[in-house]
Amino acid sequence: MIVFSSVLTAKDSTGQGLDTKNTFLTIQVDSKPLQEVFSEIEHQSKCKFVYDANSLNVTAPITMHVKKESLYNILIQLSEKMNLDFKQIGNYFSVRTVEKPHEGSSVGTSAAIKKVFFPDTKVSSYGLISNLYNNIIVRGKVTDDKGSPLLGVTVQLKGSGLGTMTDANGDFEITLASGNATLVFSYVGFEIKEVKLNGRTTINVSLTASVSGLNEVVVVGYGTQKKSVVTGAISSVKASDLENQQIGNLSQALQGRASGLTIASSSGAPGAAATVTIRGTTSLNDGANDPLYVVDGVVVGSGGIDYLNPNDIESIEVLKDAASAAIYGARSSAGVILVTTKKGKAGDVRVNYNGYYGTQAPAKKLKLLNATQYATLMNEQAANDGKPAVFANPESFGKGTDWQDLIFNNDAQIQNHEVSISGGSEKATFYTSFGYFGQDGIVAPSISNYKRYNVRLNSSYKIAKWLTFGQTAGYSHINNKGNVAGNTDFGGPLSSAIMMDPITKKIITDPTEANAVPYSTQPVERDGNGNPYGISNYVVQQVTNPLAYIQTEQGNYNWSDDIVGNVFLEAEPVKGLKLRSTVGTTLSYWGSENFTPLYYLNSNQFSTQTSFARSRQKSANWNIENTVSFNRLINQHNFTILLGQGAYLDNNSSGINVTYFNLPVNTFKEASMNYSISAADISAGGYEGIHHTVSSLFGRLTYDYGGKYLFTGIIRRDGSSRFGSNNKFGYFPSASVGWVASREDFFPAKENINFLKIRGSYGITGSDVLGNFRYLSTVGGGRNYTFGDNLYDIGYSPDAPSNPDLRWEQTSQLNFGIDMVLFTNWNLTFDWYNKKTSGILQTIQFPAYVGATGSSYGNVADMENKGLELELGYQKTIGAVKINVKGNISHLRNEVTYLGDGKEFLDGGAKLQSSTYPLTRTAVGYAIGSFYGFKTEGVFQNQGEIDAYVGKDGKPIQPTAVPGDFKWADLDGDGQITEADRTFIGDPIPDWSYGFSFNVSWKSFDLLVFGQGISGNQIFQGLRRMDIPTANWQTDFLNRWHGEGTSNTYPRLTITDKNKNMANPSDFRLQNGDYFRIKTLQIGYSLPANIINKAGLKTARIYLSSNNLLTATKYTGFDPEIGGSSYGIDRAIYPQSRSYLVGLNLGF
Amino acid sequence: MIAACSKSFLDVDLKATQVEDNYYKNPDQAFAGLVAAYDPLGWEGGISSGYSNFPCLEAASDDCFGGGGSASDVPYLNTMDSYNIDAANGPQLDFWQKNFTGISRVNTVLSVFEKDIPGLDDAVKKRYIAEAKFLRAHYYFDLVRLFANVPLFTEPLPKEEIYNVTQASPEEVYAQIEKDLKDVIAEPNLPDKVPAATEGGRVTKGAAQALLGKVYLYEKKWNDAAAQFADVNGAPGGTSKYGYHLLNNFSDIFRVDNKFNSESIIEITHTSIAASGWGNVSNMEGMIASQMVGPRSYNGPIYYSGWGGCPITPSLFNAIHNDPRYATTVADIDSLVNLHLASYKPGYQNTGHFAKKFAPQQSFKNTNAGPAPPNYPQNYIEMRLADTYLMEAEALVQGGGDLIRAAALLNAVRARVGLDPEEATLENIYNERRLELATEGHRWYDLIRTGRAAAILGPLGFTTGKNELLPIPLPEFTNTRMVQNPGY
Repeated sequence: MIVFSSVLTAKDSTGQGLDTKNTFLTIQVDSKPLQEVFSEIEHQSKCKFVYDANSLNVTAPITMHVKKESLYNILIQLSEKMNLDFKQIGNYFSVRTVEKPHEGSSVGTSAAIKKVFFPDTKVSSYGLISNLYNNIIVRGKVTDDKGSPLLGVTVQLKGSGLGTMTDANGDFEITLASGNATLVFSYVGFEIKEVKLNGRTTINVSLTASVSGLNEVVVVGYGTQKKSVVTGAISSVKASDLENQQIGNLSQALQGRASGLTIASSSGAPGAAATVTIRGTTSLNDGANDPLYVVDGVVVGSGGIDYLNPNDIESIEVLKDAASAAIYGARSSAGVILVTTKKGKAGDVRVNYNGYYGTQAPAKKLKLLNATQYATLMNEQAANDGKPAVFANPESFGKGTDWQDLIFNNDAQIQNHEVSISGGSEKATFYTSFGYFGQDGIVAPSISNYKRYNVRLNSSYKIAKWLTFGQTAGYSHINNKGNVAGNTDFGGPLSSAIMMDPITKKIITDPTEANAVPYSTQPVERDGNGNPYGISNYVVQQVTNPLAYIQTEQGNYNWSDDIVGNVFLEAEPVKGLKLRSTVGTTLSYWGSENFTPLYYLNSNQFSTQTSFARSRQKSANWNIENTVSFNRLINQHNFTILLGQGAYLDNNSSGINVTYFNLPVNTFKEASMNYSISAADISAGGYEGIHHTVSSLFGRLTYDYGGKYLFTGIIRRDGSSRFGSNNKFGYFPSASVGWVASREDFFPAKENINFLKIRGSYGITGSDVLGNFRYLSTVGGGRNYTFGDNLYDIGYSPDAPSNPDLRWEQTSQLNFGIDMVLFTNWNLTFDWYNKKTSGILQTIQFPAYVGATGSSYGNVADMENKGLELELGYQKTIGAVKINVKGNISHLRNEVTYLGDGKEFLDGGAKLQSSTYPLTRTAVGYAIGSFYGFKTEGVFQNQGEIDAYVGKDGKPIQPTAVPGDFKWADLDGDGQITEADRTFIGDPIPDWSYGFSFNVSWKSFDLLVFGQGISGNQIFQGLRRMDIPTANWQTDFLNRWHGEGTSNTYPRLTITDKNKNMANPSDFRLQNGDYFRIKTLQIGYSLPANIINKAGLKTARIYLSSNNLLTATKYTGFDPEIGGSSYGIDRAIYPQSRSYLVGLNLGF
Repeated sequence: MIAACSKSFLDVDLKATQVEDNYYKNPDQAFAGLVAAYDPLGWEGGISSGYSNFPCLEAASDDCFGGGGSASDVPYLNTMDSYNIDAANGPQLDFWQKNFTGISRVNTVLSVFEKDIPGLDDAVKKRYIAEAKFLRAHYYFDLVRLFANVPLFTEPLPKEEIYNVTQASPEEVYAQIEKDLKDVIAEPNLPDKVPAATEGGRVTKGAAQALLGKVYLYEKKWNDAAAQFADVNGAPGGTSKYGYHLLNNFSDIFRVDNKFNSESIIEITHTSIAASGWGNVSNMEGMIASQMVGPRSYNGPIYYSGWGGCPITPSLFNAIHNDPRYATTVADIDSLVNLHLASYKPGYQNTGHFAKKFAPQQSFKNTNAGPAPPNYPQNYIEMRLADTYLMEAEALVQGGGDLIRAAALLNAVRARVGLDPEEATLENIYNERRLELATEGHRWYDLIRTGRAAAILGPLGFTTGKNELLPIPLPEFTNTRMVQNPGY
């Protein structure tokens, strides 16, 4: 028989109700009213019964004895005994009396009950759930804020358990007793919304995505996807994460805010870029490690992203796994960063002003020896080498000159002003902004500052209902004075301030000295009063008086103008079919102006002729892309097919540079190329870039079934001008699957897991950063020979056998991930990946009998990156307090797995000036660029220890050492210290990177704390050049060995350094690079509406902010954030500043 | 956009990058190819390796030590001097790389010359071919003498064959050298001699005959050798058909202002005008040997400072001290120091006596742009008439030939420096070679060629049956079918 009688749903179709079959209760009642049984069940199982007390006899007595029985069976018993009918919605049971009494025993059979469970596909036909059977019917549609229908939204009568759910089209229908009720719409990932009916029977509701982000739209490359159905590993940073934070460029926006990224500034200088790597170092070749940047669909190439005003960014998506990145094919193996700029919205014109102004100062000053201490140690050093004291009376020098004080700027200004105007109608929208950013350096600001001017216009126009035209365009002008040579062994104010002796005076005021050599005879630099800057008698080479150095760099600057934009035409002739064509371009103009005066800084650093150099370069790159996509929803089968074609041209560049020598002036200001000088004093050069072209076809199939079973497949075919003739085209496939387990019927309906998605992906990506024409057999010059008397002829010959098989570096990546929403307010994303790069470009060593002159290139080496990533978010509103916390942590392990047959390590490596041994080594089985050197085993305290340190043959291992020298570990046990005693002593790649932001607001006040850190890496502290024995020391060298028992970690001071205490790369100056940094601490106050409305404002907020307020680290240099090309070796990096700012946001 | 999809979109403009397929299309490019084939002749090292040149061979002989700053300072010299040479350590990669690079370039241009080059005169092309073949013979003669067992290439090596190459027998290599040189000598378009000022250093027929004679000598084909040398030498003391005659003044042979003199037969050229810096040896046009043999940290007259390589052994000093050629051969720095005229820093194995013939002498100062070293302008005269006189004399004695002519040749060499005539015995000829050609890079080859190495070098550490040859360089064994020489 048909069982209307006992309609009981074991769980609801969203998989989020009480699991009645797995909820066990014990009920022992004798002749108790029904409502008491209900109460008991409610008490034990946290469910709720709803019924109309008028139509249901809840006082009817009932007797029941069950022990650990399932709720399901209990309800069936109740149903049979009391002629009741149950329907379950979530944790609610709607109860009514069955009109007809039960007949026979088949009613309670599971077979019969099963039949009436909600089949997932027909939710709507069972949408009517009510214990009030004779009232009004309300219908409507629920969509997200973009108008897409939402499936499975719970629609409930406020204050009751009565409710229903939407179907795949977002439609719902509910029967209510009254037309004045309030409906509550709730859906995982969206804000709960309450709607008063006020007599209406049709209600269309749009829900706003909540912090859980499940319904955030994620940009995935040639399209968007809801986060809830994304199957790849993508990290997003939204405009809201960046608001009001002092972000100078894109890399700063990502640092600490997305998992899986390793970001380190190459310098704290204004305008300095950072190195960004996604999921570790992908290649041994530098250029192949930069992510591909795509701004509004325009590939802007690697690194050329400085032009972008961070305030214009709507969202940044980092495509981390191969399945996400493969849509960008042969340029995606280092990951892809998609940037979307802000667009206008239909509605009133909005005008916003955002600005801040602040002051910056160095966060740390190094502790260096003062003049007395310096002289004392110099004397000791001389004595250790058996030489007479250098200074008769060290005390007489007092404290001496503090060079750091002289170059640091404790009041460096930073300011940013930006006005944006946006708005539009249904037909057209626009967003336009104007920005200015200016920052002075905290070191030598007259030669270290940065200014950027931005203009942006994004607009779109609906030509017809089915046809849209639009454009994005950003322009920037940058003027950058970056003349503080940071992180180099070869001078510059920073490293000079550290190494310059404190005895030398800032300026020479004594007329006798000022009128003596070299001041009297050389073009020395002078201060405003004509006093010469002091020149050291003790420290030479590239170490100079930093103030004098600064004078020689006055005026020099780099500039650039960039225009990046695209135009697009989008048509939707049939619903679901979209055609889109875009043409994008990057136009760049850049150059520099440099004047070198006559100068004399010391006996090594001088200039004997003036020169004025100007360089001008330009590039005009473009790309064209055409895509067609088709979306169709058939029942719950949701397909999207995308097909596309692209053509890309870059490195379409050229440049010239001209230098005028011997201009009759001595300052940048006076320098001009209008002077008539002889042609012999003009030198010029130029170049044209070799074009880089890529031609592509790509396709993507996205499929999901009811938002539950997800699949994405991608294939891209790329041809590149850099591929060898035998491998002109590469294919880059990927596939990913996902399963939203929480939507399954059997998913335990526990409140603590609201959403669970498990996903996996595998794909292949490539890199075509191979250099030009490396597959061709080129002919090179310079193979010259002399015929006759002092003449020579130019010879040309083939360079090396060509490699027409040259192909892309290939990266395959396996990724597993979980996305969860927990306890309603928490969301969590976890990823594990294994990324393998093979065929990394290397020079091929042919046997010498081949007689090749140049290098041949081949796809040789392999590398692997394995990692874990966790992102966690929490949002809750408790009364007037709103809390929003986000955190992420990533673990990474990089290993070189192959370098060619029999090749254990690469030649070369980073070197220190003091040593012939490289400090770093890239070797099989170790992380790229690992530190490689000798191991110290303490300091010899006396001759006895030296004599006792013997090899197997009983002979001393370090016979020439003296007390105070390092005891080197004899790792190969051959009884002597040789290059074979070097080993891997650390690596500069952090094991862990993490970041978090904590955002809380209470009424009109808000507080933000944003922090970021790394751990598990090493830094080589190379601030002091060990080949300059007279350079000043940091105060930790006061702990040097100077007698038995004085130190077992710092060696004695010596100039000759026969034991190579300083010259050998070793673990002596290798330090732990862990740090944690409070990047931003900000307190804001929003002015009350009644006050600002009078001023015509909609919003007004002022804030106080501090950047880099606190850094926790044990590292002894300026700054543990060491990026750039010499990753991990600190040769006096320009430190990050600590700033204090006041900011203002106004909305009109 | 259609273009964008097609393959031509991916074939980008070369922007002046020269591609082999498009090169060698006109006479200038053909000549540039030939110049590149000559280029390795002047190398004093390899591309990827260090500095080494004929002084290495002197260090291996009993005439010079290794020297330098310390026992490990100039490994190319010191490993040869001490015979402490193995596959990884020694100058072998330099010699190997230099000569095989030359062979590769020769084979490239010879394959180019098989095709038509528009505008290139046939006679000029034939001369080029002859020059290239001479160069190939020269490069192989060095290889076969130093290594004996080397791969033999007479055509460009196809890429797919690179790792399948095996070594040829020394006989096969010698046969190819003979064939090449006979072709050269038979070529009517190859000049007998060249104008010194513009073409000095280019291949001549005289050079080819002299080299072939020397090759025969090494093969112990005494009569064939003597026949070739007879043409080169002409009447002893007179002027040969190629214009060669002995200079009157011995020291004039080595003067920088007397390049391509009438005694010079094969001259390896250098120049000071390239303004080279230190770097890859293959890119330097000056003479590095000069820097190598100069006294260290020297301050004083006559010489520049150098690296202190190849100090003269007491053995050579004693042999030559009373010879008229002493003053031209030995730089007696110690005497200058003792006279308080100069100071220097004695290096490893210092004897106070240095090789003077190629020393960095102030009188040959580089007046052009660029630093003095490595831009010393001295040429290296690899074969000169006194050498071919003595070789012919030796061939005549060994082959039972005209002993009167043999004595005339020997005594012409002696008479030029004022020495009395001697009988043309092998011992006298060998002794004359040592003194006449001291420090010019021949002694070590001679000792091995004549079987005297074991007796003379044995006490110095020379291992018979091993040290006659250099080891095949270690990197050559990676993935290849090379076989190491005996004893290494």
